[in-house]
Amino acid sequence: MVFSSFTFIFTFLPITLILYYILPRNVKNIILLISSLVFYAWGEPIYIGLMILSILFNYFCGKDIYYKKKNSKATISIVIAIIVNLFILGFFKYYGFLIDTINALVKTEIKYRQLELPIGISFYTFQAISYLIDVYRGEVKAQKNILNFALYIAMFPQLIAGPIVRYVDIEQQLKWREESFQKFGEGTRYFIVGLSKKVILGNSIGKIFESVNQNFNSGIKMSVVMMWIGAIAYTLQIYFDFSGYSDMAVGLGKMFGFDLKKNFDYPYISKSVTEFWRRWHISLGTWFREYVYIPLGGNRVSLKKHIRNLLIVWMLTGLWHGAQWNFVFWGIYYGVLLIVEKYYLKQYLERIPSGMQHFYTMLMVVIGWVFFFSENMRSSLRYLEAMIGIGSKGLIHTEDCFVVLSNWGLWLAGIICCTSLGAGILERNGYKGYKKWITDIVYMILLVMTISWLITDSFNPFLYFRF
Amino acid sequence: MRKESNDVLNSRMTCICKYFLILFIVLYIIFVYSYTSTKDVPFDKAEKALKNSINDENMLDVSSRGLKRYYGFNTAEYEGVMMYISNNGMSAEEILLIKVNDDTQINELEEAIRQRIKNRINDFKNYAPDQAELLKNAEIIIKGKYIFVAVSKNAGTYKKIFLQLL
Repeated sequence: MVFSSFTFIFTFLPITLILYYILPRNVKNIILLISSLVFYAWGEPIYIGLMILSILFNYFCGKDIYYKKKNSKATISIVIAIIVNLFILGFFKYYGFLIDTINALVKTEIKYRQLELPIGISFYTFQAISYLIDVYRGEVKAQKNILNFALYIAMFPQLIAGPIVRYVDIEQQLKWREESFQKFGEGTRYFIVGLSKKVILGNSIGKIFESVNQNFNSGIKMSVVMMWIGAIAYTLQIYFDFSGYSDMAVGLGKMFGFDLKKNFDYPYISKSVTEFWRRWHISLGTWFREYVYIPLGGNRVSLKKHIRNLLIVWMLTGLWHGAQWNFVFWGIYYGVLLIVEKYYLKQYLERIPSGMQHFYTMLMVVIGWVFFFSENMRSSLRYLEAMIGIGSKGLIHTEDCFVVLSNWGLWLAGIICCTSLGAGILERNGYKGYKKWITDIVYMILLVMTISWLITDSFNPFLYFRF
Repeated sequence: MRKESNDVLNSRMTCICKYFLILFIVLYIIFVYSYTSTKDVPFDKAEKALKNSINDENMLDVSSRGLKRYYGFNTAEYEGVMMYISNNGMSAEEILLIKVNDDTQINELEEAIRQRIKNRINDFKNYAPDQAELLKNAEIIIKGKYIFVAVSKNAGTYKKIFLQLL
């Protein structure tokens, strides 16, 4: 089930909210857990078993590590726990990729049958690992209540597309949290903004990208400008798609009294790639920093080792996004950019005008997305070649102008909503008196518009599902 | 003293549960692997979904005789066969969907499919390298009782439809 489906908006969410609020406090977590399991099982009932086993395994591992801390055998326990978690993730996500790679390298023909990827497995596995490591480090106690632990792993707002919530951030809220009208209202507004970002902007801009990409994959030659239009459209689509989903997750969390951390902070206003990654998918960046980068030594090591650490982290970040070489390359691409920025470019970047800094950052980001949306490395290189005129049909055509001008409102809205300007207009707390009511009406209009969009438009993909 | 012995007991129990769960996870994965490979979707449903997406006028429906003609197998031996080929001799485009009656039929079909693709790459590589490229990028998926092959510039789309269906 996705947040932007009618089943979720008009059936699942209202029923869950009603049950959650009418039942006593001691069963609220149970209601949330049951609804989360139903939510997960809706589309893929077979993998609910995997999730339940994963919950039980990590629950007992957490306790095991906690008990063993006293007799220093905890290291073996944490290693086993991480290996099992990575084995499950690896089997479902990287098994085919591994065999394909072996076949290509050794020229063998090992056959395999493709398995469906359990939705959200990358997210909930990372959450489980973060819990185990935090227990091992003594930052948190092992959770004694299995229902609370299951809710931490399976809570539906963040289950299938994040944000990746660290246990340390939510431990207290699992035990006790405060629900209020104010928080509920705030959550509703977050949800409406996220839904409209995803449905109105993400889906609409996504159609432009889909049409360019389909033509490109069919071998139709297009102009350089059209290739850039396609890549820029994807840049906007993935932002509205993913950040919209994260906003909905944060909003839903608030409706149930949780405070989840934001996952995006206007990444496209960044003035460097380093800043971009501080603002994009913040929870994933935090996870890799806390559990890979710092344990490897972070930046408090020699230059060589620091470069190695950065490359390892970024290669893993790429691999986390998908079991394909173009994702690995995409990760390494950012790793290299960050190293170059830190040790060479930073001093020059700071001296150039702010507009140029934005331009440089967005150029690198748009190029990066080409590796991300392409089916394979060869296809991404062909696309990049066409963006600089190799194999393209001229520089510009009248149809390019048509695509830009006929969608001018969409482009404008997209660009505005990538900045804090869009959110600023809707920031209810910034107004006083009757203006507050005006913002409420704006939110209602936005919701009606989004629902109408959903009714009339069948194009409703969700890009981050496959991760 | 009593608390310490309780802790030791709890620790042992937890450890035993942990190893049992590892065993269950392995069994579950084996089950899922077997289950997903035998998942049953009616052929008519799969055929309809794919047919709706093939709106190319240049594709010819050869479901009734194509399998015999191009692969040497009898259509009647399978639960369902859908086959489209391009009506242009210069094109290698082809979409094939077969639902087998028995898992043992899969291997021979797969081998025949891979052999045909290999042969056609050799046929096309000199005079139509773009078609040879399409063949190299052919999507061959075996899932449950289904075998799916797409040699097409839209192979990715067909693959997506097929995977969503199952």
